[in-house]
Amino acid sequence: MKILIIEDEKALSDSITTYLKGQDYICEVAKDFNTALEKTALFDYDCILLDLTLPGGNGLTLLKELKANNKTDGVLIISAKNSLDDKVTALTLGADDYLSKPFHLSELNARIGAIIRRKQFAGSNILKFNSINIDTTCKTAEVNKKNLELTKKEFELLLYFIINKKKVISKNAIAEHLWGDDMEGSLDFIYTHIKNLRKKLMEADNIDYIKSIYGMGYKFTDQ
Amino acid sequence: MKLFAKYNRVNIVATVVVLLIGGICYYLILHFVLLKQLDNDLNAEEQEIKNYILLNHLLPVPTNTKEQEIIFKESTSALKRKIESKKIYKKEDDEYELCRILFFPVNVSGKNYNVYISQSQEATEDLMQLIASITLGLVLLLLFILFIVNRFILNKLWHPFNTTLAKLKEFDINQNQKLQLNTTNIDEFIDLNYAVSKMNDSVVRDYTALKSFTENASHEIQTPLAIVNTKLELLIQSENFTAAQMQNIQTIHNEINRLSKLNKSLLLLTKIDNHQFEEKEEVDIVKIITTLLNNYEELFTAKRINLFKEMETTVFILMNETMAQVLISNLITNAIKHNIDNGTINIFLNKTFLLITNTGTALQNYPANMFERFKKDKVHSDSLGLGLSIVKKICDLYNFSVNYEYANNIHSIKIVF
Repeated sequence: MKILIIEDEKALSDSITTYLKGQDYICEVAKDFNTALEKTALFDYDCILLDLTLPGGNGLTLLKELKANNKTDGVLIISAKNSLDDKVTALTLGADDYLSKPFHLSELNARIGAIIRRKQFAGSNILKFNSINIDTTCKTAEVNKKNLELTKKEFELLLYFIINKKKVISKNAIAEHLWGDDMEGSLDFIYTHIKNLRKKLMEADNIDYIKSIYGMGYKFTDQ
Repeated sequence: MKLFAKYNRVNIVATVVVLLIGGICYYLILHFVLLKQLDNDLNAEEQEIKNYILLNHLLPVPTNTKEQEIIFKESTSALKRKIESKKIYKKEDDEYELCRILFFPVNVSGKNYNVYISQSQEATEDLMQLIASITLGLVLLLLFILFIVNRFILNKLWHPFNTTLAKLKEFDINQNQKLQLNTTNIDEFIDLNYAVSKMNDSVVRDYTALKSFTENASHEIQTPLAIVNTKLELLIQSENFTAAQMQNIQTIHNEINRLSKLNKSLLLLTKIDNHQFEEKEEVDIVKIITTLLNNYEELFTAKRINLFKEMETTVFILMNETMAQVLISNLITNAIKHNIDNGTINIFLNKTFLLITNTGTALQNYPANMFERFKKDKVHSDSLGLGLSIVKKICDLYNFSVNYEYANNIHSIKIVF
């Protein structure tokens, strides 16, 4: 899976690259408008992360260019602007998703995963992790071929964990992913929620995949 | 007061005063001239009588007419010659009549006589009255014509001003349209339009600059926040930290999160201030509440909060959909956040109001400050203190009234649409 990161802040593109590499993605970085234009013309990517404010040009112009050349690369806009106009314009121009800065790397990874799954028409929508199978189209989960009864939020949580497998996910990232970013204050309720999911997985497979990392967050791993 | 009324008031008062003074002078002069005429007649008569006496040494036989009467009276003492106006009783008409009377003494063959010549002033008075009423009529006509002409001319003269004013009233800085003023050939209005356009241009320029400044400032803040946030996320992937170190990292992570939310909320407030959510539609409030309640289900369960709702089946309110989402989500998360374990939340919704009540401890802050920015209850220091000021701002935007009440450990917020 090839990802192109079009972002002028080196520190940020470095973080993204480091995180995504651990998820078996091949990452390339373009720091300015012209490099980005060149790379997108020459190569095909599974997903392009596009910052709207670039040295040498606007990200929206690049997006128009891509669509004019009938490129089918998935496009995820990452913008600090968070302005409604830009969001609407970007989505109308054919961007697949819009993520405003600052974001959690786990959230970015989940969004990229969703775009790539949507783009693979022939590919399967089944995500696997050991004995767990997740069907992202039907929104069902199986453990050892046995259906797992999950609430909507529990399913989303499990999917989020498996996409970000073997990574520590902060409680803030989980709360924002599941309940939106109006959540502020105590995040204690997440603990209850995690406990429920863990219980259901334990009953099905007797393996505890969800590892608590101090008070910081959780990690989904078989190690 | 309208300019026209003000102008008319001054104009009419001035015209009336001038015409009144003119009328009085006219009357006095006319009166003087006509009396002079009468006096000349009387003097001529006097001269005629004196000539007759001088010639004939006899008193003439008085020839009395309706207008003129001559009386001779024998007298021992000679009166001084004098002319005066006096009311005299007339038998034939049975009324007093104003007359001009001249008396003078004559000496006929050693005998003293006083001669009275009186001439009726009636005809003069009639003439005066006629002239006065014609004058008055002219004054009234003049005033009327002035009023009409002024109204017509003033309206026409002020037309460019009124068009400019109407365009200014219509102008909405959020519409991104340039202010187009009509051309006129009146210097004052050309000046006015020039000044208005200049001011408008600078306002639009400043507004755009402020808008892009707000956006840019947020951009400048969000990018470093994004970098710090992602670096922290990478940092926590290596698990070689002690519990104490991890604790510190977690605190940093939480504070960075809070900072980004604060920045987003302030940006939202600025955007509402700048009227960037102008699009309106009939928003399904019931649907928004139901969706949000489903989304927060786990939060209710975690705090064991009992939820009671009483909603009409359809409530549509004309407003911006994003604003409706933000408004209701703020109210509901607020009611959850400031609730107690095993508490209660009640939601009542109908076409006229939305009432959300929740159990909770009493606030330390005076309720009047509730909707101000960063006024928050000390117990929940981890909240941003912007939720309710966003609620207030949105309510102000749509002229909804919002009220907070606290009684018997129940907080209630009521929004009247």
